[in-house]
Amino acid sequence: MRLAYYPGCVAQESGKELDLATRWVCRKLGIELVEFPNFSCCGSGFIDEANSVLNVALNARNLAIAEKAGLDLLTVCSTCQGMLTLANRRLEEPAVKTKVDGALGQIGVSYHGGTSVRHLLQVLTESIGPEAIRRQVRRPLTGLKVGAFYGCHLLRPAAEMRSESAEDPHSFEDLIAALGATPVMYRGRVMCCGFPILFVKEETANRIAGHQIEDAKAHGAHAMATPCPLCHISLDSFQNLAERAVGRDLDMPIFHLPQLVGLALGATAEELGLPRHLVSTDSALQRIGEVAVPT
Amino acid sequence: MHRHDVVVVGAGLAGQRAALAAVEAGKDVAIVSKLHPLRSHSGAAQGGINAAVGAEDSVDTHIYDTVKGSDYLGDQDAIEFFCRSAGPTVVEMEHFGTIFSRGSDGQLASRPFGGQGFPRTIYAADRTGLALLQALYERLGTESFTLYEEWDLTRIVVGEGRVQGIIAFDRRHGDFAGIAAKSVVIATGPAGRVYGRTTNAHSCTGDGIAAAYRAGALLKDMEFVQFHPTALLESGILITEGARGEGGILKNVNGERFMSKYAPHVLDLASRDVVSRAIWTEVKEGRGFPGGYVHLELMHLGRERIESRLQEICDFCRNFAGVDPVTQPIPIMPGQHYMMGGVGTNIRGETNIPGLFAAGEAACVSIHGANRLGGNSLLETLVFGKEAGIHAAAHAEKASTTEIPNGLVEEETALIRGMSERKDGEEPQHLRAEMQATMDELVGIYRHPNDLTEALRRIRALQTRYQSVRVVDRSSIYNINLTDALETGHMLDLAEVIVIGAIARTESRGAHARVDFPRRDDVNWMKHTMARRTATGPELSYAPVAFTRWEPKERVY
Amino acid sequence: MEAGLVKAPIEVYRFDPTHDRAPRYDRFELELAPHTPVLTALLKIRADSDPSLTMRYSCRSSICGSCAMVINSKSRLACQTPIGPELERHGRIVIDPMRNMPVLRDLVVEMGGFWGNYRKLEPHLIDNPERPMPEGRPSSMSPEEVERFKETPRCIACGACYSACPAVEHDAAFPGPMSLAKLYRFVVDPRDGGQRERLLKIQPGGLWLCLRCHLCTEACPKDVRPSERIRDLKEMAIALQGATEHGSKHAVAFKENIRERGVLNEFKLVRQTYNPIEMLGQVPQGLKIRRKKPEITQTPKPIEGLAEVEKLYEILDDEPEATK
Repeated sequence: MRLAYYPGCVAQESGKELDLATRWVCRKLGIELVEFPNFSCCGSGFIDEANSVLNVALNARNLAIAEKAGLDLLTVCSTCQGMLTLANRRLEEPAVKTKVDGALGQIGVSYHGGTSVRHLLQVLTESIGPEAIRRQVRRPLTGLKVGAFYGCHLLRPAAEMRSESAEDPHSFEDLIAALGATPVMYRGRVMCCGFPILFVKEETANRIAGHQIEDAKAHGAHAMATPCPLCHISLDSFQNLAERAVGRDLDMPIFHLPQLVGLALGATAEELGLPRHLVSTDSALQRIGEVAVPT
Repeated sequence: MHRHDVVVVGAGLAGQRAALAAVEAGKDVAIVSKLHPLRSHSGAAQGGINAAVGAEDSVDTHIYDTVKGSDYLGDQDAIEFFCRSAGPTVVEMEHFGTIFSRGSDGQLASRPFGGQGFPRTIYAADRTGLALLQALYERLGTESFTLYEEWDLTRIVVGEGRVQGIIAFDRRHGDFAGIAAKSVVIATGPAGRVYGRTTNAHSCTGDGIAAAYRAGALLKDMEFVQFHPTALLESGILITEGARGEGGILKNVNGERFMSKYAPHVLDLASRDVVSRAIWTEVKEGRGFPGGYVHLELMHLGRERIESRLQEICDFCRNFAGVDPVTQPIPIMPGQHYMMGGVGTNIRGETNIPGLFAAGEAACVSIHGANRLGGNSLLETLVFGKEAGIHAAAHAEKASTTEIPNGLVEEETALIRGMSERKDGEEPQHLRAEMQATMDELVGIYRHPNDLTEALRRIRALQTRYQSVRVVDRSSIYNINLTDALETGHMLDLAEVIVIGAIARTESRGAHARVDFPRRDDVNWMKHTMARRTATGPELSYAPVAFTRWEPKERVY
Repeated sequence: MEAGLVKAPIEVYRFDPTHDRAPRYDRFELELAPHTPVLTALLKIRADSDPSLTMRYSCRSSICGSCAMVINSKSRLACQTPIGPELERHGRIVIDPMRNMPVLRDLVVEMGGFWGNYRKLEPHLIDNPERPMPEGRPSSMSPEEVERFKETPRCIACGACYSACPAVEHDAAFPGPMSLAKLYRFVVDPRDGGQRERLLKIQPGGLWLCLRCHLCTEACPKDVRPSERIRDLKEMAIALQGATEHGSKHAVAFKENIRERGVLNEFKLVRQTYNPIEMLGQVPQGLKIRRKKPEITQTPKPIEGLAEVEKLYEILDDEPEATK
């Protein structure tokens, strides 16, 4: 399988560990990642608020790059997935399409709507399938209870995302089970991590993150996993502040989706960039019989 | 004790419009409603609001159509006033902020409706009632008035020959309270839930009509009940005429397109009463599906047409009946839809009790006579709601202060609390279900004298059993079981009036179809039924119909 | 069991503050057709087994907005939710009162806060001196103007969006999706003269607390899509008055940030959003993160083809010469 790899900004910067883990897992599963150094940022929902047509145009340019190469896009971020998919949908509105096509024309780019945008979670669960992944597991995550945290934009708005049930998704849990871990069901798994207002009202954002982690913990989760690096920032990088906002210790290791997969497929903690987390993943590693890595 | 100049009971379109008029007249106004105003059943009206504003249309045509539609039982002076008010009413509502549908020219769009010579029904997509309700609520919200939200009316207090106020039950706190008022406006909507199969909301229980009746007000033309031919079988949810307009056809259990027998030319698109009677006949004569219903078929129209043109109906069928109209027939039966009758008023909304006013579907002016035209009911709520508000305010202006007599609230409280304190007795929902079954079975579209007599016997037996009704819920907050009991008592009184009026009226006119008197009888029955409550039941008298310019003719379309 | 019926275990939240110390769930087992709406099931419970089960309901055809509740953890209308799919997915039906509103009794909640937030936004037409209502005639509105209302006239104010909203749950300053969708309805109304003031008030009035999680859009039984209208309000507010709040500053800063390199300069974004004093407040956490993730203070390489991105900004974002 060849896919145009769209890492998004965070995975190339402060969330580098997501990129490391993605590459490791894709290599292992035979997914060829084709790189395009000319991809621009998806706008992260913020450019959409400031100038929605510009946002569609920037993403149409990204989609056109993949279309020209005849490849589908692979994202590793719920927000990138959401924004790029939304651009495809918005281009179905004639008024938007006319404006965007006009602008693209001036930079010699044309986009015909042919690029499918696929998140790594979807590729793993739909194209490869949990069963095929289960067969490749070298280190089953037995005994580890994991709360999946989907990230809003992978699921919603459902009419635009057109993926699995936005209300009761199960692909992530199926994957967690295939890795040998026990998925934990809790209300917060489809809720917001608070990230979009981290710069608007930090305390509220932290409280929301803390609330979701508390929820996962209350349902027995030893760790959480997310397909979105922005959720990871909220849940991991700011977990100390989330703890303060909800007034209790949380100590919840937060895995990026491919880190959890990589762990089961036999990658080392270093290969997956686990030492880069702010909340140590040691407690989770110990549960699956791994020795803690020195940090 | 609470005290206001004008108390409006009911917060739908008629009630809110009355309140707005009274507030604008400078009065201290209160609205008492068992629902939040935006939850009112006015919001469920889909079709539109009539106004002869098109260049080629005329108010006279609207008047004529309404007179004819009423089967000459409508009061022509009232109808003239009503139709003349239509244009200004629509303009006013537009200026209040109603988002009407518009044509490509930017002007209000209108659609044709049954029984009318011109497409004069102005609409807001398929939610005209909601659009009007929102705009009026928003406009009223800029004024100062008191809202008693989620209060149940239990009694209209009349003494010294005039209205003194009301007694109502505050659900939230479980208290009864007297609200003194110089004028009271009843705008509580219809009592459609007297029937089991009805397109009306659960809250349409005629509380204000019954309270007015108990207080001595005359009820008018209650036997005239409009049925809609196509209500979903189990829920009674309305499937609009649009389904047949797009080419939907009705079939009986033998797969026959039976409308060819009843209306060979217009077939399934015959007028509502004709189609309703045809379906009823098919089922009565054993050609219905087991359980008693017929099919409305759309399948032959194809998925694309059904889903694009009849989206709302698709949603209703899929959500509420578990039927996909693209691949399956829709089970339907005629359902109660509208009550032409109500508290008798003149065009000022005045009843026979000084200080008591009524408007909207709770009232009977009468403009609908024996049969209402589509698009006239929303208009009625606004035109006569406003009139009732204006005249209620004027009455309050000259009336002296009123009091709720000492001890009356306590007496009412004890009476109703007694329902909760009973150790045995029947639960209200069971009595209600029996009443509804009786009305569905015996007081439907075709009325047989023996059926009506049997219905009266059953309703009176239920009234007797209601004397020992028992409220099981003992809680002092939000006791909707008590609401059930109050509503059931109200509806039993009204069911009795409907049946007695239907027994007495030995003719067929508009929605009242007697099998033993199949013709309209203008010599003996060109008159309004007036029902007054006595210790032994309703006492009927009759009042003349007002004529201006239009002589009765046979009603053919 | 009758043919075509299914067993429907229903667990309903019960709480009467006058008797009960704590809420409980009552379990009822019914046999119903799969298409039966949850409301019908609840009414059956009231009729046959427990008339004290308390809730709001009226039209049973999803237009009055009375029966919003939480069914299997999703806020929605009971009359519009058939039991079959719920049983297939969850094996049972668990019914709770709406969230984010105090419970009065059983499934009835206090909606005062919800209505209060709505009233605060002045939901009524304000005279528009530039476009006065024509005397004795309805105003004219072009098809484009009508189109701008989008789906907002469908709103039935049921409160499902308010119940589903995490911003409402965690921050009292957020007016809620319904209020903002209603506000949008007035902002785009050509008859309304308050557009400017409405937009000026709403930037500091909680607009930017929306998390754009779209849970409101999923909850809405009438497909009003409040989250998208909130997004529209944000764009209109910025267009009118520029960036005045943390939220709008961040959005505009993000847009400018991407223009420079095509990818995000994380550290610069923080500096663009916060003033120097606020920046100081960010230092401890910033240092904590930098210890593990040194990239946060490094400047990323510009993308290839940056000139194309720059050109798109020029065409679609820079103000036309004439208005500069």
